[in-house]
Amino acid sequence: MTIRMLLLPVLFLVVFASVRAELDADELMKQSHLALYYAGDDGRTDVTMTIVNKRGKERLREFTMLRLDNEEGGDQKYYTYFRKPSDVSRLTFMVHKSAEANDKRWIYVPSVDLVRPISADDKASSFVNSHFTYEDVSGRHWSEDNHAIVGDSTVDGVPVVVVESTPVEDLSSFTTRRTYIDTSTYLPLREHYYDGDGTLIRVFTAETIETVSDIPTITVRKIEDVQKGGHTIVAFTGIEYNLGIGDDIFTERYLKAPPREYIGR
Amino acid sequence: MKQGARVLLLVIVMAGSISADPYIDGFLQALYGANVSKANPTDNDQTVSETRFQLRFEEIGSRAEMFTRIDFVGDNADSTEFDIEIREAFLRARLGSFDFKIGRQILTWGTGDLIFINDLFAKDYRSFFVGRDDQYLKAPQTAIRAEWYAGPADLTVVWTPSFEPNRLPNGRTLSYFDPLSGTFVGDRPLPTKEPGNSFQESELAVRLARRVGPFAVAGYFYTGFYKNPVGLDPTDPTSPYVYPRLRVYGASLRGTALGGIVWVEGGYYESRDDRTGDNPFIQNSTAAALVGYERQLFENLTVNLQWQGEQILDYETYSLQQQQGGQFARDELAHLVTSRVTRLLYDELIMLSGFVFWSPSDEDIYARASIAYDYSDELTVAVGANLFHGEQPVTQFARFALNDNFWLKLTYGF
Repeated sequence: MTIRMLLLPVLFLVVFASVRAELDADELMKQSHLALYYAGDDGRTDVTMTIVNKRGKERLREFTMLRLDNEEGGDQKYYTYFRKPSDVSRLTFMVHKSAEANDKRWIYVPSVDLVRPISADDKASSFVNSHFTYEDVSGRHWSEDNHAIVGDSTVDGVPVVVVESTPVEDLSSFTTRRTYIDTSTYLPLREHYYDGDGTLIRVFTAETIETVSDIPTITVRKIEDVQKGGHTIVAFTGIEYNLGIGDDIFTERYLKAPPREYIGR
Repeated sequence: MKQGARVLLLVIVMAGSISADPYIDGFLQALYGANVSKANPTDNDQTVSETRFQLRFEEIGSRAEMFTRIDFVGDNADSTEFDIEIREAFLRARLGSFDFKIGRQILTWGTGDLIFINDLFAKDYRSFFVGRDDQYLKAPQTAIRAEWYAGPADLTVVWTPSFEPNRLPNGRTLSYFDPLSGTFVGDRPLPTKEPGNSFQESELAVRLARRVGPFAVAGYFYTGFYKNPVGLDPTDPTSPYVYPRLRVYGASLRGTALGGIVWVEGGYYESRDDRTGDNPFIQNSTAAALVGYERQLFENLTVNLQWQGEQILDYETYSLQQQQGGQFARDELAHLVTSRVTRLLYDELIMLSGFVFWSPSDEDIYARASIAYDYSDELTVAVGANLFHGEQPVTQFARFALNDNFWLKLTYGF
């Protein structure tokens, strides 16, 4: 038996294994995406967002978010009611997130009783001046990237699988991303974003994980802009899942007059 | 607003805020503006010099909620008196598929960006022209709004018992052109006569709206009066300017298309005191349409463009009347082009904003520009300018041509 003949099945195995690994990576990213963005069928949370710029100056945002999953891993609706700062208090914001088409976004400014749609072609733009992008808030669909498992590791003693993802279509916001996925909860504990030169540009960290109604939930998350400096910390409180939030909540009617049963004051 | 109604509203507000633990927030603001035109006939070089304290009270009950927005304001440029303006004081309740909003409130609908065809709710151009916040372009109305959400289209009915006119430059801090005297006036308000308080003189606005694919489609109806004093009563020399009767029928469409937002709106203005166009003292009926498009060109730069056309009906009669009176005659089809540019800089803390209204047919232009910096969550500093120009002093913006001004504003929110 020649070396070549020996190598052939090995090569075959390698190819087969890598295909299997890729399938696993896709499945893993899907599970992770569902765990992070599609927990329960719907949910509400109060959010405190602390934005710290590179000079250490802090800004605070407080809002309440509602979410409804129309389809697991597919269309979703988001409703946001702002409390602070004062100049945006009572302002409401709604997103109809579509797995296929562009998201639709509307804003309601109560001081002028004005509902208006806002153009939403840039998912990488900042959400309320923070280091979180719209995509960080509502999720970048796993099918938009190619994924490969690159190894096992631990984050703070928790075993994780490391997945490397590259966007299917070129992006200006990042070239590759490494996700450190907790193998028991599928939650991403870290995400490292790199540019084309392989330089680390952004880091996502799951700071605190709590179990709410049997659903493991990242209740404190942080995004750090490694290049420019500055970070944003988001803390979730008052989380509730499976409230039975109706589809009609995500319409102009409720944009103008908030559903107090979920929003509270 | 009538003094009695004001006191009553204030009592309601106080009662509401005492009864439980209301949520209170608001802002403190200083705004200074200077007129830059030497020819301006106003007796003050300041367009505004005010301190404003806005308080917002909110109370949410299980069945209804109450919201109040009161401004305590002292404007040295306009008056030595301290003023209390109740911008909003309403009760809101949801009853099944009905939503009600009753009381003093701000109302807006339609698709235009700062141009309005079917939105016949009161505007405050005095505030708009001196640099007050965008929210002050809308003047409050005391009204009942009822919305019904169970039909094939969402129905909104707004009844305003007492006519609420637009607030236009009144010769105090901002001058205006008076076509009767043929001069720019800076020492007295335009002598107007408002409609009375009878049921027949109330305002009714109706909208039917629904979603069709990616578009929000709406139909509108309004019956009331022109919101500006565009009519003349030649029998009354003391207050000859009047608000003629008006009905408006219109429709609009808005949605995402062409990589941005697209909107189209049209309306037929039926001048009910001059249906045939024969009366030279009353505005003819008109038909108006607008088209707009907005998109984010790149991150933090958004641009929009609008065109509005307004056609004067019974034009021959109109142009003959204007010629005989030696007055400027508008083109049969008047064009207005507008554009807004918004640029965010420095982690979106600085906002540069520009808005231009340009009418090639009326040959006038109005440009607004501002820079606002969010120094902190609480403190915002802004500067801006308002510039007017026109060839014929009677046109929409040329009337205010001597009011070029710049302003500085500091706001502390809490």
